[in-house]
Amino acid sequence: MPSSGPIIAADQVSKSYGPNEVLRRVSLPVAEKDMVCVIGPSGSGKTTLLRCLALLEQPSAGCVTMRGTTIASSKPDLAERRAARAVRPDIGMVFQHFNLWPHMSVLENLIEAPLRVKRMGRDAAIALAEQLLAKVGLADKRDVYPMRLSGGQQQRVAIARALAMSPQVMLFDEATSALDPELRREVLLVMRQLAAEGMTMLVVTHEMGFARQVGTRVVFMDHGEIVEEAPPETFFTAPKTDRARRFLSLFAE
Amino acid sequence: MPTYQFRWDIIPNNIDFLMSGLQMTLIISATALVFAMIGGLLLAALDMSRYLAARAIGLTIGEVIRNTPILVQLLWVYYVLPIVFNIRISSLAAILIGLSVYMAAFMSEVYRSGIQAVPKGHREAAQVLGLTPFQSFRRIVLPQAIRFTLPPLASNFVQLIKFSSLGAVISVTEITRRGMELSSSTFRPLEIFTFVAVVYFFICWPLSMAIRIWEHRLAQR
Ligand SMILES: Nc1ncnc2c1ncn2[C@@H]1O[C@H](COP(=O)(O)OP(=O)(O)O)[C@@H](O)[C@H]1O
Ligand SMILES: [Mg+2]
Repeated sequence: MPSSGPIIAADQVSKSYGPNEVLRRVSLPVAEKDMVCVIGPSGSGKTTLLRCLALLEQPSAGCVTMRGTTIASSKPDLAERRAARAVRPDIGMVFQHFNLWPHMSVLENLIEAPLRVKRMGRDAAIALAEQLLAKVGLADKRDVYPMRLSGGQQQRVAIARALAMSPQVMLFDEATSALDPELRREVLLVMRQLAAEGMTMLVVTHEMGFARQVGTRVVFMDHGEIVEEAPPETFFTAPKTDRARRFLSLFAE
Repeated sequence: MPTYQFRWDIIPNNIDFLMSGLQMTLIISATALVFAMIGGLLLAALDMSRYLAARAIGLTIGEVIRNTPILVQLLWVYYVLPIVFNIRISSLAAILIGLSVYMAAFMSEVYRSGIQAVPKGHREAAQVLGLTPFQSFRRIVLPQAIRFTLPPLASNFVQLIKFSSLGAVISVTEITRRGMELSSSTFRPLEIFTFVAVVYFFICWPLSMAIRIWEHRLAQR
């Protein structure tokens, strides 16, 4: 297994829904400990890109690779399907609307995949879950049902649930967009902590301050394309393209 | 109305005859319930199939059955099926087939809406975590779908019990038929059909109440 090179990468990925081309030859390698922030106007294809990387959508052209192995393309062969199944637990995803399972307690949400996918022992899975809940500051919510939690708490549980599979990369799709402003901070704090620990992350966000402070790279998307890519400081102080400048001006106050 | 001489003793005097009918009603209802639940599941699977042809077949069968009267279907099974397929069908088999098929068409809709009520994101979360489609269905979709599904399924059971009385027209010896037979030999329809109605009521009403309480509990969780 090569240690250099990207962990996960989109390689010339295109995605169309009928005549509507939503992604156009997007290439985005994510290296170990990268914290890539993807920004761009609504409808620019950010979610679709993340869903392709999370193997929830199949690219219409191009491919997704994980440590050099192809795990998604328009015509997957048997080996590719097997590779995809094998790396699935290594890719964690956090959704805008949390998607916790409401019929299971917080603990049950966390141990489900470790028990059934990793075949971890029950005690070990519970110990891991408790440790992760403590990490996201929700140790006392172990036996509560998701409906009883605030949005911010639910999203932190969702992050812990993804971490329970010990993923090598975490994908965040506007993890704070569905939250009231006062609840965003607690989620961003957890994400910040993850980044500090060296988690490889790809984060779609509208939190410009967060992207600027925490990101190692900013990717600006528009109309299904990556328009600009730069270190955060460069991007936010001196964007090269008109489109990026126009987009950023919407956030300047 | 001239003063009517009630003869309620007719009921205890013929209780064994009537109760044998009740027994038949319960056996038919329970058996048809099992068939209808399984049939409904199969029909729902067709309705939600990946394949267009399967969906078309499932939806067509469902629409036809739901939009024709059960009595006509019953008569069709009893009188037409034997001609078409050159087989003999007993009246018991006919009521079981008729009831099961009719209720299956309604139960398939209950299953379908129960499963579709589970948000797609719940399945996607399971998929990303590496659960197989089967694990995701069994652990994430089904437990939630059952919650939405059980109360309406139970109401369908109440319907089914009442529809089993239609067996009387093809001479299935369930309780309504027994009542008809008894009233034509005794000329006491008032006492007899009142009693029969009361029997149905005390089977169906507790079930309906239980469902109501159950739904209320589910809503509170
Ligand atoms: N399942 C789908 N079917 C058809 N069109 C879709 C689907 N998902 C996304 N789209 C379209 O793709 C475009 C990009 O969507 P999305 O990736 O969600 O953008 P973003 O996350 O940047 O707002 C939008 O125009 C959207 O309408
Ligand atoms: Mg989006």
